[in-house]
Amino acid sequence: MSDIKLVDLTKRFGELAAVSKANIEVAAGEVLCLLGPSGCGKTTTLRMIAGLESVTEGDVWIAGKRVNDLSPAQRNIAMVFQFYALYPSLTVAENLAYPLHAERLPPAEIKARVDRVARVLQLESVMDRIPGRLAEGEKQRVAVGRAIVRDPTCFLFDEPLSRLDVALRQQMRGQIKEVLSGLDKATVIVTHDQIEALTMADRIAVMRDGIVEQVDTPHGIFARPANLFVAGFIGTPQMNLLPARLIHYADGLGRFAVMGQELTVPVDPAVGRLNGTGAVTLGIRPRGFEPVAAEGADTLKAVIDIIEPMGAETLVHAVESGTDLRVVFDHLVPVAPGEPIRVRIRPGQLHVFDEKGTRVHSA
Amino acid sequence: MAQRRAIGHAGWGRTIAAAIVAAIYFLPVLIIIMYAFQGRNDILSISARSLGDYLESIFSFTPTLSNFENVFFRANIIQAGEGAAQATETDFPLYFLNSVGIAGISVILALVIGTLAAYGFARFPLRGNDTYMFIILTTRMLPPIVVTIPIFIMFQVTGLAGEYPGIIALYTAFNLAFTVWMMKSFFEELSPDVEDAARMDGSSETRVFFKICLPQVKAGMAATAVFGLILTWNELFFALLLTSNETRTIPPAMVRTLGGEVGADYGLLAAIVTLFLVPVLVVTFVLQNQLLRGVTFGTIKK
Amino acid sequence: MTQASDSMAQGAATDRPVANAAAARRRGSFVERNRGPLLVTPALVTLFVMNIFPLMWSFGLSFYDYRLTRQDLPRFVGLDNYARMLADPSIWESLQTTALIVAGSVGLQMILGFFMAMLFQPIFPGRRILLMLVLAPMMLSYVAVGVFFKLFYNPNFGLISKLIEVFQGTPPNILGDPVGAVLGIIFADAWMWSPFVMLLVLAGLVSVPKYLYEASQIDRATPWRRFWTITFPYVRSLLLLALLFRTIETFKLFDTVYIITEGGPGTATKVIVQYLYRVSFQDFRTGESSAIAYVILFIVIVLTNLYLFMVKRREQEQ
Ligand SMILES: Nc1ncnc2c1ncn2[C@@H]1O[C@H](COP(=O)(O)OP(=O)(O)OP(=O)(O)O)[C@@H](O)[C@H]1O
Ligand SMILES: [Mg+2]
Repeated sequence: MSDIKLVDLTKRFGELAAVSKANIEVAAGEVLCLLGPSGCGKTTTLRMIAGLESVTEGDVWIAGKRVNDLSPAQRNIAMVFQFYALYPSLTVAENLAYPLHAERLPPAEIKARVDRVARVLQLESVMDRIPGRLAEGEKQRVAVGRAIVRDPTCFLFDEPLSRLDVALRQQMRGQIKEVLSGLDKATVIVTHDQIEALTMADRIAVMRDGIVEQVDTPHGIFARPANLFVAGFIGTPQMNLLPARLIHYADGLGRFAVMGQELTVPVDPAVGRLNGTGAVTLGIRPRGFEPVAAEGADTLKAVIDIIEPMGAETLVHAVESGTDLRVVFDHLVPVAPGEPIRVRIRPGQLHVFDEKGTRVHSA
Repeated sequence: MAQRRAIGHAGWGRTIAAAIVAAIYFLPVLIIIMYAFQGRNDILSISARSLGDYLESIFSFTPTLSNFENVFFRANIIQAGEGAAQATETDFPLYFLNSVGIAGISVILALVIGTLAAYGFARFPLRGNDTYMFIILTTRMLPPIVVTIPIFIMFQVTGLAGEYPGIIALYTAFNLAFTVWMMKSFFEELSPDVEDAARMDGSSETRVFFKICLPQVKAGMAATAVFGLILTWNELFFALLLTSNETRTIPPAMVRTLGGEVGADYGLLAAIVTLFLVPVLVVTFVLQNQLLRGVTFGTIKK
Repeated sequence: MTQASDSMAQGAATDRPVANAAAARRRGSFVERNRGPLLVTPALVTLFVMNIFPLMWSFGLSFYDYRLTRQDLPRFVGLDNYARMLADPSIWESLQTTALIVAGSVGLQMILGFFMAMLFQPIFPGRRILLMLVLAPMMLSYVAVGVFFKLFYNPNFGLISKLIEVFQGTPPNILGDPVGAVLGIIFADAWMWSPFVMLLVLAGLVSVPKYLYEASQIDRATPWRRFWTITFPYVRSLLLLALLFRTIETFKLFDTVYIITEGGPGTATKVIVQYLYRVSFQDFRTGESSAIAYVILFIVIVLTNLYLFMVKRREQEQ
């Protein structure tokens, strides 16, 4: 039984459908990341789960109960807000104790629980300060602490790390994951940072314009993007999405016209069903190429335009027939602007998307 | 279960509660407005037999426009008080013109001088800037009488007492403190980057002020002028002591008709109040966002 | 005060180099170097002539025996006026009356204003127009309030007296009774100015970030707890500002008292400004009145300082 279940969840603000027919399940102990570009409806989805936003259509189930008509307080959830929402006039200790007052616990018990959370999150030294006198990372930890001090049915995080600097973000990602792994609760984390999603989530739901495009494990999202949007959204540097035409398919080999060249490569047998329709998009991640010396039916050539050294690797922007190609080479491969390159697609690195942008694959 | 409402939004229940409170608060104002359309007997006859009769005697009357006619067309109203000795001559069309002219001129003068000063205080702070601002506010916070004692002597000596220039100069100063504080608060909300960018592009200081800053505070100047007008129009104390029969403004003129208990023509007074109240209510509605700043003389912005 | 006015006179009159960044950057013409002083000079001169100079003059007068109505030359009497003032029981009495009315009226304004602000905090249908109606009394003039409340209190023709008569049979003579007169003044003033307090508190209430209320909902706080931990901290400073501002303003209450009771019955509502009015413009004891004026000036300066201090502190908090 999943702890959070969204069934055809829809939210409309007037004409605008901020969320349409979202179907997501999160099991106890599972961390689900809602990932998507700004304005895609992540926060709205989260707020509907929390009960801070009313539901237009569909249902929210928490712990096997339909909670559409319950107030946030009745849903027994814990939430970390994007701007932390720490109570500015209360000390850290009082902030941490705040959710416990509703449970009518004896003061000693409250203190014990607050102290335990403070220890876990290393907040002991700042317990008597007000939020205005805290560093950003400390504020963030207090916000997390206020959520885990209670025993809620699930956790909701809205962009919990967006206000931290890069180093702190990395550190907090680990810390949050560690804290959550010990709790066995359903958790939903909203983020627009894919690294955050890929590292923290058990599963990721990618959203665009209010629609859930794909729900899968981080690996699944990366390795098997359901459509062009997910393919282009996940992974840096961005996947190459090359307009192409399928010329012929036979025996697991597809022949494509792409970048003014012909390319014959092994493809998923499902591609065979596309025979004749023609227009497709080929998706290859920049790291999915290897340099080759000799021309062949399975190689692509292009002319180097710009070079971006990235340390151990080099990102090469190449052009051919007006189409850009991003390729990542090991830093030892010699490259120079204006020179031609020739690459082969590594096995299993080619994704074919049909005219509608859906990835073509056999079940 | 009933649909839960997000905090910050309330429904019609709140409207009803607020409407009751608003009705109580507005009732005296409404009654004054109704007085403006009533004859003397309607105003003064109130029944206390029962609550019903009481309410009926307040709200039922024969509407008339004669009060407004009196304000504008009956130039001289000889108002007899309890005794003939207290007879007071009133000349409301003149007082109206006086009020409009004196308030208008002093507000404009204060706006010109005050906006320049506010710009100076906001953008070219002097040593002791805060002290100046404090002194300026203090002149506004003082009871007028404190200044009036010496001013009265000063005006007697210089012959300004009862003359237009005297009262206009005084009101200009009275409005100046308010204008400087208001306008400074508006200038301080502008980003100096825009001005610096214009300076980089070679604009003269004069141009920066007129082409960059002033256009951005136009609405603020309008609000300042409106609040200044309201304050000046309502001012009683200076006018009571420093205007003569020819230069008298509305507030002291109204007070002077109160000679005897029954002598006052409340319908006429209500008509005067109403004439000014209607624009003021419109202003309250339109300038709701500037109201806080206006009533605190620009000391509190938000 | 005199020190301050002296330095101000200097600032306005001389052209010493000014330590401001904009001017320092440009070592140009006289105008360029003195932009700040030049901009503020007209205003300062006007205020000096119409306010500061008269105040200095009356400071001088406060040491003289002088009556405006007499031809005698002013006679220097040192601190006599101050001594006489301190010895005069009626000034103490009127200060007490003022304190009573300030306490009563401002207290009532704070309570009413606060609850009205709570009422008007959320968005609801018709809020803007109802708000305008509630704010109307504040936009009325003192004269209008005075004139019509005097009528409302009139035992034979007054709405308020008549309403009381409906319930108790006989019309009360509100203004004829010392307690009634004080209450009458307080009632009219509190009615007029509680919208002011409401406006300030409302500004505090709307500055509370919405997400704090949402967080407290998630944290299942009771409304009581929510109020004290979230709402109140945001309105605290504005309540204090409202209190100070209204105290200063009510302290100088004159118009309504002058119109409604003229300080009566007896001396029941003789507030300090009314008292000063009598001394200066009915008895024409000009020297003495200047001394009293300086005491008032001092009180207002202290309160205004306190007020601006609080304004600054609030701005820094934000
Ligand atoms: N209260 C509201 N009224 C009207 N439209 C709203 C409201 N709240 C959100 N929206 C709209 O709904 C859409 C989804 O908003 P939402 O805040 O859920 O996006 P998001 O994915 O969280 O974006 P971000 O990453 O920028 O936070 C946006 O187009 C937004 O403008
Ligand atoms: Mg969001």
